[in-house]
Amino acid sequence: MLINSWRAILYDVLLYRRLIALQIRAQLQYKINIFVDITTYLAVTALEFGALLLYFGPFPSLLGWNIGEVALLAAIMSIGFGLAELTGAGIDNFSDTIRRGEFDRVLLRPVGAFTQVIGSDFRLRRFGRITQGIIAFIIALRLLPDLHWTAAKLLILPLSIVSGALIFLSILLLGATLCFWTVETTELTNILTYGGREMLSYPITIYSQTLQRFFLFVVPLAFGSYVPTCYILGRPLPFSIPSSVVFGVPLIALVFALVAGMIWSFGVHRYQSTGS
Amino acid sequence: MLRFYFEVARTAYRRQLIYRWANLAGLFTNVFFGAVFSYVIIALYHARPVVTGYNVQDALRYTWLVQAMIMVVLPFSWFDLMLTIRSGEVVTDLSKPCDFYWYWFSREAGRNIYYLFFRFLPTYLAGALLFGFELPGDWRSWLGFGLAFLLSAMMGIAYRFLYNVVAFWIIEARAMITLAQVVALFFTGSYIPLPFFPSWLRAIADWLPFNGLMNIPVEIVLGKLDGNMLWLAFGRQIFWLIVLTLIVRMLTLLASRRVVVQGG
Repeated sequence: MLINSWRAILYDVLLYRRLIALQIRAQLQYKINIFVDITTYLAVTALEFGALLLYFGPFPSLLGWNIGEVALLAAIMSIGFGLAELTGAGIDNFSDTIRRGEFDRVLLRPVGAFTQVIGSDFRLRRFGRITQGIIAFIIALRLLPDLHWTAAKLLILPLSIVSGALIFLSILLLGATLCFWTVETTELTNILTYGGREMLSYPITIYSQTLQRFFLFVVPLAFGSYVPTCYILGRPLPFSIPSSVVFGVPLIALVFALVAGMIWSFGVHRYQSTGS
Repeated sequence: MLRFYFEVARTAYRRQLIYRWANLAGLFTNVFFGAVFSYVIIALYHARPVVTGYNVQDALRYTWLVQAMIMVVLPFSWFDLMLTIRSGEVVTDLSKPCDFYWYWFSREAGRNIYYLFFRFLPTYLAGALLFGFELPGDWRSWLGFGLAFLLSAMMGIAYRFLYNVVAFWIIEARAMITLAQVVALFFTGSYIPLPFFPSWLRAIADWLPFNGLMNIPVEIVLGKLDGNMLWLAFGRQIFWLIVLTLIVRMLTLLASRRVVVQGG
């Protein structure tokens, strides 16, 4: 039983790899196009980051956070979100799949629906945002010359970025699940992803207590960016949450993803075609 | 002929009326981003009470006016003209017995009037309610704002036409258009108000056409421009409106001479 389910997972992973390889090969056929797209995306996101830095011309700090600290937070956010955008495009486009009735075909194939949906798109141009995030990270490090790195911090950094990406992907999946009933992507999903990214590029303490609680305990996006950044910077967390919670970040992301996955499966079982 | 353009505008206005839910969703997004920027501004002002003559109330008003004006002046992902060029539909429009540019101008003017009532006003009111700033009172500054907003809306139409018309030469212009929009948003003061720019960047921004799209009307209504500065601001807007319109018309002329339709 256990061996069988492992085999099924391995099979799905291999299938996913093939689907993605196919996508990458297709997109690389238009070399100039993809290069222009990545560069444009880099420029667009770099302008957003530049605007964030410009605030610190006239103002010395943002509720006690200096320019380097905010830059570090925004950089970690950008990389995590960029990873989610890169891999989650298929989930993001799910409403099209539903509307065109293509999901019926997906269900007829003897492979998991989720693997097919997430493998249906992979946006190379999203490397633009990830590149911007990495550049922003380097700038942040230059602005924070006194930052002391430990082995634990170096471990936490990649783990929390991946966890943040996983939480974003889970939100996309929940939004896609909603499409089973609404057919169209709701603005709610966009607010939580794009809006959440924008909001959490700043320290959450600038928002009202309700909003802070929301991003910690309801949609745990803050655990993918704000909480690990506070740990790296040695800052205390709000609501007297202990700093050591940062070691539980991957677990929190996994639990959130599992819940999203369960809701998705429920949606798949309840699916009735659009029937056109 | 004027009657024809008026009817085009009216039709565009009425077509827009159908998308009620889409507008509501967009309004929600505008208000959301306005709120995020407001929280950031309020937090920043904890460290300093006044920046280049702007207190926190001014900065909040600036942010909300910009959020409210965006859909009128610089609508996101406006590919309408590019799509007609790509599909070949543009030929029908080009062969209509009216001026190609004024035809599109009237369409967009109609849309703009829709967004004035159903996006600009509700967004600004939502901001005023959420963050409790009152409407600035002086009728003269509102009159100035009205004039500047009219000019900026016309500049906005010319600008969106400009970055779409390149599709005559580049078929896949989406990336370029996105960049054109984001650069404009940056220099209009949508990401961060222009008064917060460092002086060297502000000096550049002042001379760019984007300054006239949102920053000038907003600075007028906030009473930050008076006397000669006010006339200079209007002068800049009119200058760029004429230049942009001329460029756009020249490009359209060039394009219509060499347009080749791919039959299907």
